[in-house]
Amino acid sequence: MKLPLIGGGRVLAPLEESAFAALMGFFFGGILLVVLGYNPILTYYYMFYGGLGSLSNVTDMLGNAAPLILTALTFAVGVRAGLFNIGAEGQVYVGAGGAIYASYYFLPAGIHLGFALVLAGAAGALMAVPTYLLKAYRGVNEVITTIMLNWTAYFGVLWVAIVLLADPARPEKTISVAPTSRFPDFLLGSVSTSALLFAIAVAAAFYVYLWLTPSGYELRSVGLNPEAARFSGINPRKPLLSALLLGGASAGLAGAVQVAGRTTPFALYTGLSNVLNYGYNGIGVALIGRNHPLGIIVAGLFFGTLQAGFSTVQLYARVPFEIIQVIEGIIIFTVAAPELYRRFRGSLKK
Amino acid sequence: MASPTKELVKTSNLTKTYPDGTQALTGVDFSVTKGEIHGLLGENGAGKTTLSKILSGILKPTSGEIYIKGNLVRMKRPSDALGLGIGMVHQHFALVRPFSAFENIVLGTDLNPTGERAKEAKASIADLAKGVGLQVTLDSPVESLALGAQQRVEILKMLYRNVDILILDEPTSSLTIKETGELFKSLLKLKEEGKCVIFITHKLREVMDFCDSITVLRQGKVTGRISKSEASPITLATMMVGRTVEFELKRSPMTPGDEVFTIDNLTLLDREGKEVVKDLSLKVRRGEIFGIAGVEGNGQTELAEAIAGIRRVAKGSIRLKGTETEGKSSSVIRRHGAGLIPEDRRQMGLILEMNLDENVILGKQRDLQFRGSLTSIAWRKVRQFTSDLMKKFEITAKGPESPARSLSGGNQQKVVVSRELSSDPDFIVAAQPTRGLDVAATEYIRKLLLDSRGGGKAVLLISAELDEILQLSDQIGVMYEGRLIGVGAAETMSRERIGLLMGGIVA
Repeated sequence: MKLPLIGGGRVLAPLEESAFAALMGFFFGGILLVVLGYNPILTYYYMFYGGLGSLSNVTDMLGNAAPLILTALTFAVGVRAGLFNIGAEGQVYVGAGGAIYASYYFLPAGIHLGFALVLAGAAGALMAVPTYLLKAYRGVNEVITTIMLNWTAYFGVLWVAIVLLADPARPEKTISVAPTSRFPDFLLGSVSTSALLFAIAVAAAFYVYLWLTPSGYELRSVGLNPEAARFSGINPRKPLLSALLLGGASAGLAGAVQVAGRTTPFALYTGLSNVLNYGYNGIGVALIGRNHPLGIIVAGLFFGTLQAGFSTVQLYARVPFEIIQVIEGIIIFTVAAPELYRRFRGSLKK
Repeated sequence: MASPTKELVKTSNLTKTYPDGTQALTGVDFSVTKGEIHGLLGENGAGKTTLSKILSGILKPTSGEIYIKGNLVRMKRPSDALGLGIGMVHQHFALVRPFSAFENIVLGTDLNPTGERAKEAKASIADLAKGVGLQVTLDSPVESLALGAQQRVEILKMLYRNVDILILDEPTSSLTIKETGELFKSLLKLKEEGKCVIFITHKLREVMDFCDSITVLRQGKVTGRISKSEASPITLATMMVGRTVEFELKRSPMTPGDEVFTIDNLTLLDREGKEVVKDLSLKVRRGEIFGIAGVEGNGQTELAEAIAGIRRVAKGSIRLKGTETEGKSSSVIRRHGAGLIPEDRRQMGLILEMNLDENVILGKQRDLQFRGSLTSIAWRKVRQFTSDLMKKFEITAKGPESPARSLSGGNQQKVVVSRELSSDPDFIVAAQPTRGLDVAATEYIRKLLLDSRGGGKAVLLISAELDEILQLSDQIGVMYEGRLIGVGAAETMSRERIGLLMGGIVA
């Protein structure tokens, strides 16, 4: 069976494919739950209840989805350019740091948020520059540089959070983001809804860039066939730079969303616990969304729902945290499997 | 004919059809007797490599029989061939570069290279090497050895496995003259020991000097089998290039116009700094097709890359309409009036995953004719352009939205050619423009090139297909080892003369 790739208006087939894969994942996860002696129906019920069961659950879920959509875009634009960019993780940290730093300035509401977002995006993009330079001029693989930069960012932001941005009254956290630079709560009474709309707008912008501009076209050309792109006169460094900078900015914005677009705590804690793993989880979201901005929006909401269900499943279905994670892993893997197969079957054959 | 018992290898009615329908071998009867060096001669795509891969167990024949030492055999994998005493040394060596020569030689056998028996094995390999004159420093890592020494490691690897039929695929292509001489000395020693060597090449001189008998392949068929005493360069060249003309194309007389494209004393280097194109000069005028013939791998690819602006020029100059193109990107060179048809349409000409709309604007994505609001690409205008090209160039596809991968080879090439011709260039480079195409598509593409010539364009045709060169060209030159030899007007170049030049013989 040959399924068309997403894009060019054919969105339905990939949706059907993903829905089927998700059902398979729930089925296999269910078998595991039965074997381990838990009630799968109850578990899944509370998993979705946690994400969709009440208004606050829904806004919580949307808050999960927003940063994931943004970090998934980082990975996806990299894949489109032929990269395996896993630098989103560190870029989220610096983006969060940048958004908090903006609160040292006093600006009117609206403008202040814009300023914080610009700082966050710029910080994320800046974090990608070493990867670009090393890849473009020294041929260093981006996987290596982004992994190392993720750690650099972690300890760098940790230091900044403790030394420069620390809350004088509460040393375990940074200062809180100023109310003027938070996402507005005009929808459903939560900042998360406007954060999600913002993430969707960024995804739409990525779509326009990739499919409607010459620069985006060049990026996709290099990703699909670098040799043909070079023969056509495209300088491969330009798409490389675009993919890394745009991806870095998007991940930086995910950091901003995490500190300025979630109900609590509007700050970073020492250990950066509230911004960890969004970069890595974004890879899974990108794969589920077929590395397509529109697919990523759907995938982000799906992933956000699963994540929101964590605590309710523990609390009401009494399934231990570790097992829920295994179940989630199975579901995510089966949904991502078709895309993994398509992307990597070529490399296995060679 | 030698008596059957002396035939070490014999094939009968061997046929190979690849899954994509390519008929690589048709009814090949081939035999090699004990203690001979047998030359296997042919142009690119004649079937030499396919035949050798079948004999060494890498490929399975579609039909026909193989007899080794008189017994009918069926080989499923290379190890089966090795078990029967057949070993092949590929053109590109299969060595583990950081391993020592010794480790490479014993790799895959049950000998532990650091075990107790290693010492004896090393001594016996050294003896073996000395006996046939294949000296190698066994403890050096292979990557530190010269190409000639790496080849000796490959041959020793086979001899260590007690191979008595040795197949060498283009063994001299990467060797220096001195190394080539040493290789032949060793091969003669192996022959004295009663082993037989199958020597695949396109170089006439080597075949004439070292082979006892020769089989010539052309288009998958044996066109001759002769002994050394009967062979002359001219008979071999004729057998190799044949004289069939599949179709007639009218080439009306043209008076060439002014000079459009000039190359002066061009030298190009490969990654290792070796000269791959040497001091090459040529001129192409309006209304003229300049054909560069030659066996592939003699610098044509690099020449085409330099013209397209994707390979650095070491020395000399390339000028298009009087302007130096050195250091300019291919999009600038295109805008200056060049149409660039690459030799590998699937790798360089097209992006197979993209649809036709996306492929026809490759390299033109920033052209004003496709610009919409805010510098976006106006896909509506592109769609119109694609439809026009499909109509004009008879491109058969489901529609402009079909991925390029789904098209046949001929239609893929039409997409590339139509894209390059659509900007009405003054100069066209066509590298191997009909390779792998069926007869109808071949004829169509050739006709397009002739029409371009008729329209007063300058065309540089680079082709390993001799018929194509002879059919289309006004001027012909042959590339051999990076040099353009024997340039002349088409009328003065006979098929035999070009065949000799392709084999490196300047008559």
